[in-house]
Amino acid sequence: MIHARGVAKHFLTRGARVEALRPVDLDVARGAFVSIIGPSGCGKSTLLRIIAGLETASEGTLTIESAADQRAGFVFQDAVLLPWLSAEENVRFPLDAAGVPRDEGDATARRLLALVGLQGFEKALPRALSGGMRQRVSIARALSYDPPLLLMDEPFGALDLLTRDRLNDELLTIWTATKKTIIFVTHSVEEAAYLSDRVVVMSPRPGSIKKIYDSPLARPRGERTKLDPAFHQLMADLRRDLA
Amino acid sequence: MTSRAIWRRPLETIAAVGAFCLAWDLYVRWTDAPSYLLPPPADVGAALIQSAASGELAHHLLYTLQNLILGYGAGALLGVAAGVALAKSPRLDRALGGPILFLQTAPKIALAPLFVIWFGLGLASKIALIISLVFFPVLVGTMVGLRSLDSRFADLARLLRLGVWRRLWLIELRAGLPDIFVGLRIGAVQAVVGAILGEWMSGRQGLGYLMTFASATYKTPLLFGAVVLTALLGIAVYQLVETAERRLLSWRDAP
Ligand SMILES: Nc1ncnc2c1ncn2[C@@H]1O[C@H](COP(=O)(O)OP(=O)(O)OP(=O)(O)O)[C@@H](O)[C@H]1O
Ligand SMILES: [Mg+2]
Repeated sequence: MIHARGVAKHFLTRGARVEALRPVDLDVARGAFVSIIGPSGCGKSTLLRIIAGLETASEGTLTIESAADQRAGFVFQDAVLLPWLSAEENVRFPLDAAGVPRDEGDATARRLLALVGLQGFEKALPRALSGGMRQRVSIARALSYDPPLLLMDEPFGALDLLTRDRLNDELLTIWTATKKTIIFVTHSVEEAAYLSDRVVVMSPRPGSIKKIYDSPLARPRGERTKLDPAFHQLMADLRRDLA
Repeated sequence: MTSRAIWRRPLETIAAVGAFCLAWDLYVRWTDAPSYLLPPPADVGAALIQSAASGELAHHLLYTLQNLILGYGAGALLGVAAGVALAKSPRLDRALGGPILFLQTAPKIALAPLFVIWFGLGLASKIALIISLVFFPVLVGTMVGLRSLDSRFADLARLLRLGVWRRLWLIELRAGLPDIFVGLRIGAVQAVVGAILGEWMSGRQGLGYLMTFASATYKTPLLFGAVVLTALLGIAVYQLVETAERRLLSWRDAP
């Protein structure tokens, strides 16, 4: 679905050239769950933003096969909610902006807020929510318009382990049910190993792809996955590559 | 807020106004100031009541109010529209930014006589003067508001592929509202100044005219009354804008 060839990015800030991403080759098949893991500042967000069309690559070519009218879903590293809208209105925002009927948007927003564990907070403004709750609202917003491609930038980084585990499983359920293609940036080796078909390891800043692992783990994933020796082997490999 | 706290502000205001009137009254008695220089508050009240009874006062007040509403409304709308256009079009900004800065810093009040020459002695010149005073602060506020848009909101708009107008209406104008309101508040004060000034210069209606009439005929108590009413009108307009701001920007305050 996605083919990146030699995609690289540099920024010019006050005349200085900042290397953000060195040339990257990456293929993501339709319906795949791919994680990107790497040290802070290595260009994970940059790569994701290029794929989302929020940034243009300085070099290389990027092809994305999807219907022209399909918007990609994006979960920003720091939520990015509109502060004048309630949680529910934020989730519904992409639907409202596209002119979807009110009651349909309403039902979707309520269902998704319940899915991310925020029932009862529909009317709350973002400033009244904690960082993790805001992030969950933004996940619900990214799901609201059912995008075929979902790009997630450390979506669960601000959550406690229990919520994180639960949302990991919810995400896999949604992924299985909707056959979305998901690219998932994380700092957690365990999360990457648990969720993905492929794990892309990036080298330190300025980053490029260091190694790609195809997961040997069976699906569906669950408690049994975490007991699988292959799971622990994969985590150990990832840790070694990151060190 | 407890019911006590709700009453405190107005009570304090009334007490302050009462104390002021008392001091004023005592001063007049003490210094024996002649009424044509400083009339006692009771005379001012009487002059207002007399003018109100004849229906004259309401007529002048309504005239000024009507000009204020028309001029402020038009000036604010034009200011927002022009601010959007300049913020959105770098080319337009390059072409008009300089002249606008010049006009904005030029004292519009000095242009007031020109408006009379251009738009005549009637309503048009008065409203044009108010518009010119409201337009610039609102324009600048709108430009600042749109220019300072959080880049992450721009990302969101891009991601959701919002068209220019949806993006403007759903994100940019709302995010910029705090800055736009800075302009609207300055404009509210200026609008009252412009309304009174316009009536000073020409015509036979409005609180500004009432002032020139009262001073020309040595009706000093009526002059004071008109001044007090104008001040109250200014406060009322400002409060109205502030109330609108508090309601529209409630998301910034308490959760
Ligand atoms: N808009 C920008 N202007 C200048 N430099 C930038 C910009 N965005 C990113 N960079 C630089 O590019 C590099 C990669 O940034 P990026 O945000 O992609 O890292 P990351 O891998 O997502 O890090 P983290 O894990 O901390 O989120 C950094 O060195 C950063 O300073
Ligand atoms: Mg990042």
